[in-house]
Amino acid sequence: MNRRPTRRAKQLFFCAAVCVACLAGAHIASGAAPDDCHALRKHGHRAEAQKCYESLTSARDPYLRAEGYWGTGNYQEANNQFRIAVAASPANPVIRVRWGRLMHERFNNTDADGLFKEALEKDPKNAQAYYGLALVSADGFDNKAIEFTTKAMELDPKLYEAHELMADLMLEDSDQAKAFAEADEALKISPEALDAMAIHAAIEVLNDRSPDAWLEKIRQVNPTYGEGYALVAHHLVFNRRYEDGIAYYRKAIEADPQLWSARAQLGINLMRLGQEDEPRKQLEMAYNNGYRNEETVNTLRLLDSYKNFVTFKEGNTILKLQKKESDLLRPYYDAELKRIMDTYNKKYKMALPGPVQVEVYPDHEDFAVRTMGMPGLGALGVTFGEVVAMDSPSGRPPGQFLWASTLWHEMSHVYILTATNHRVPRWFTEGLAVHEETEASPEWGDRITPDVVAAIQEKKLLPVADLDRGFIRPDYPNQVLVSYYQAGRICDYIQERWGADKLLDMVHSFAKLTKTPDVIRQELGLAPEEFDKEFLLWLDKDVGQTVANFDKWRAAVKDLVEQAKNKNYDAVLKQGEEVRRMYPDYVYPANAYEFMAQANIAKGDKKAAVAILAAYEKIGGHNPPALKQLASLEEELGNPAEAAATLDRLNYIFPEDEELHRRLGDLWFAEKKFTGAIREYAAVVALQPLDKASAQYNLARAYFAAGQKDQAEDHLLASLEAAPDYRPAQKLLLQMKDSDEGNKNEGK
Amino acid sequence: MIAIFLACTGISSRTAHAAPYYVTVAGLGGEPDFEQRFTALASDLDKLFKAADASAHVTTFTGTSATKAHLTDTLAQIARDAKPDDAFTLILIGHGSYDGEEYKFNLPGPDISGDELAVLLNRILAKRQLIVNTTSASGGSIGALQRAGRIVVAATKTGTEKNATVFARYLVDALRDGSADVDKNEVISALEAFQYADRKTAAFYETQKRLATEHAVIEDTGKKEAVRTANAESGEGLLAGSFALLRIGSAQKAASDPAKRALLEKKEEIEQKIDTLKYQKAAMSADDYKRQLSAALLELAKVQEELDK
Repeated sequence: MNRRPTRRAKQLFFCAAVCVACLAGAHIASGAAPDDCHALRKHGHRAEAQKCYESLTSARDPYLRAEGYWGTGNYQEANNQFRIAVAASPANPVIRVRWGRLMHERFNNTDADGLFKEALEKDPKNAQAYYGLALVSADGFDNKAIEFTTKAMELDPKLYEAHELMADLMLEDSDQAKAFAEADEALKISPEALDAMAIHAAIEVLNDRSPDAWLEKIRQVNPTYGEGYALVAHHLVFNRRYEDGIAYYRKAIEADPQLWSARAQLGINLMRLGQEDEPRKQLEMAYNNGYRNEETVNTLRLLDSYKNFVTFKEGNTILKLQKKESDLLRPYYDAELKRIMDTYNKKYKMALPGPVQVEVYPDHEDFAVRTMGMPGLGALGVTFGEVVAMDSPSGRPPGQFLWASTLWHEMSHVYILTATNHRVPRWFTEGLAVHEETEASPEWGDRITPDVVAAIQEKKLLPVADLDRGFIRPDYPNQVLVSYYQAGRICDYIQERWGADKLLDMVHSFAKLTKTPDVIRQELGLAPEEFDKEFLLWLDKDVGQTVANFDKWRAAVKDLVEQAKNKNYDAVLKQGEEVRRMYPDYVYPANAYEFMAQANIAKGDKKAAVAILAAYEKIGGHNPPALKQLASLEEELGNPAEAAATLDRLNYIFPEDEELHRRLGDLWFAEKKFTGAIREYAAVVALQPLDKASAQYNLARAYFAAGQKDQAEDHLLASLEAAPDYRPAQKLLLQMKDSDEGNKNEGK
Repeated sequence: MIAIFLACTGISSRTAHAAPYYVTVAGLGGEPDFEQRFTALASDLDKLFKAADASAHVTTFTGTSATKAHLTDTLAQIARDAKPDDAFTLILIGHGSYDGEEYKFNLPGPDISGDELAVLLNRILAKRQLIVNTTSASGGSIGALQRAGRIVVAATKTGTEKNATVFARYLVDALRDGSADVDKNEVISALEAFQYADRKTAAFYETQKRLATEHAVIEDTGKKEAVRTANAESGEGLLAGSFALLRIGSAQKAASDPAKRALLEKKEEIEQKIDTLKYQKAAMSADDYKRQLSAALLELAKVQEELDK
């Protein structure tokens, strides 16, 4: 992963000590030491630095040769020389650290991590090794980055790079005060700490102040230090200010046209804004010049795959779907986008200034490319300004994913980012987006999962002022998910207590760059700590019972599974009720609802089965087989309208199901809801079923019933072309012919 | 594509049929779950074959009766009874193994190898034979089983796909689900059943987001490599398209009514006209094709209406 390309290009000034202490007596052909070369490079004297590194390549000592080859960009040979150097001096930790840094720079964090750890085995107090581990951890947004950086600073208080890294991490965590202090600390140690200056510049830009003074300081040390601008760009992108980030990547390239990492990032971020031509150009340039990290390579592959996509522009929306599933998904996405935009236009009292682009990826790996190098889950959807990228419903096993819910979530981001000009804390925009899912449809949105229950039980919810941290650098597994839940519930709470307009007021306050504690104070009239306390009391009223019963529930559900396995249906029904009461929101695998429904069916009580499955659906259960069973039972019990409604809800979960569309089409056709029947039968045709004849016939009869004769004829012909002897289609053909004759006669 | 291919060669699944022979074997499950599953699938097939044609010779082995000896005896008996015009179907459900040279179908007691099966099958005079081997590693049996006039379907591409398969489940579904009859001629051909089961198998792995560990293949020329997709291009599927695995409607009844013979001949003629039109589609203008096809389909519908009276 290449999250911090700037850090790769940096060379640390510590090898002089190595040369003296560990490599005493080594002959250097030209007399130059690596630090001399690094210093030349740091000050922008590239040609001289190049010569200096070249001179090292002919040194007798393999370690120096490694530094030389590394400096000249011959990474393969540098790697070879490091291998020789380590073999020659196996006890030397420093060579391993430098080799690890090379690996880190060349996109191989696994080997880098191993080398830093090996160095620590040789020298447990090696600050550089800890610093290396921090760099690797920081790439993956691992909380250990802070721990390793702190350790490096403790072991070597003069290691200004560690302070720079800490400033960088703190700024990612939205802790600008600490970031500022750490950057200052680095500058105290080294007045030429360029990244510390860049962090200061980034803080200024993030606060809509001029960074010029800091950028000028950077230029005074090194006028070609593009990495400084790139670091500012990184933080702007991190704060979802993509256009501003792009502007700084351009400045980085202007300062250093050979800063391939910045070109790659420029390409990736332009793609995030929906562009394709310039991104390809920039990414190819980076790739062709050897900058081939995972992000660059995969993004180029994704660009290549765009030939398999088709784009539909309509009104204020651009929908990008893979060709194979575009006929199926388009009607559903179009309708849902319209519903979303109508709702949000009213709710947020605004209209989007430009079209919004929604990209739907059936291959999760393609979608994952769009979220590489970003913090958080990015599991289902991601929003870049006015571009939304998301998994297709076909990208996940059925039932794991409510695509429409995700679309509402991401579209909320589009509005909030626009309303705030991309100046909104992560916790608030995520919380509001989660809140909107349930607002759109009560059975959508996040339910309280066992992970969240455990977090509440262990008092791990974060204060609102620190909630961003839970999204960016989690302290424990699943903290990101817990933070989504918490942020969503905070927005529920605010709406319930202060009204929906208060959420909008908060949006406007954030747009003015007001910090979370101040927004809480100004808009809600509470100190943040007081707010936290009252929110927890409110939350406890809602889920306190679930939390209190959690351990008991765990034991009970285990027993329930056993009873169900042994077909003890009476016990399942009795215990199921109790399990459900203890934790009503549990709708995941092995939930009481489904066990109870099966028990009811086994006992022949279909009405009770419908009741329990309806409760399951209402509370957020979305296992397709269970909902299909509910629809079948509803139909059996003479409620076709309810059956149709249940099946229609499945369209928002897993529309890639031929049987679903056939059944729903039939139900709506029988109810004379021909528009709906046409949509469903068209979905069957779009799925390219083996049985084309009946699929086309159904669509033809729905069109015919709706009075759309031309379309009916086309589809009927397609049906009979596939199966000329298909009786129902033959009958419809004769019926249509008769109707034609009748019309002609009437016209005479 | 297959329909066109068939039309051009004049072979039709509408041909009148003699009493078919069906042998289904549910092999050794090894575990209760598999044992139960294999037995259930074989029993379902047994019921389907018997219900579709009361005159059919249906033999089904499950559990401890599914031995090499029983299978050998039954195939020997069919070799004595079956005539060249008869159709013969053998369906194997269960686990198979392949050691790189020899395929074996796992049975209680001694297993039976692909070569041993081939010897038994070669003695059966029925010219039209369908062998559906749905076991794991069944791809390893194709070489031994393929022969002119015989359709061989295997659930796995090669003998090295060794995981338990789901193909058999969908093969049974194909015979239960009218939608497998894609040309709506009320006959589920071997090809239609293969395509249905193959598609459903692929969908199973796709929706479960699991790596597909089986890739069904078909071979019906007796001399080529088995293929994943049977069509005119691959040269496979011609025989399978004309092999009636299961009749699901009353199409055959009309054939026995002399009063309707003229209409049936007319119907056959129009169907051939439609097949020819479809074959020429690429060379025709879209409007002309549509006009001619519509007219022919209307004519066919009218004839069918008369036949149904």
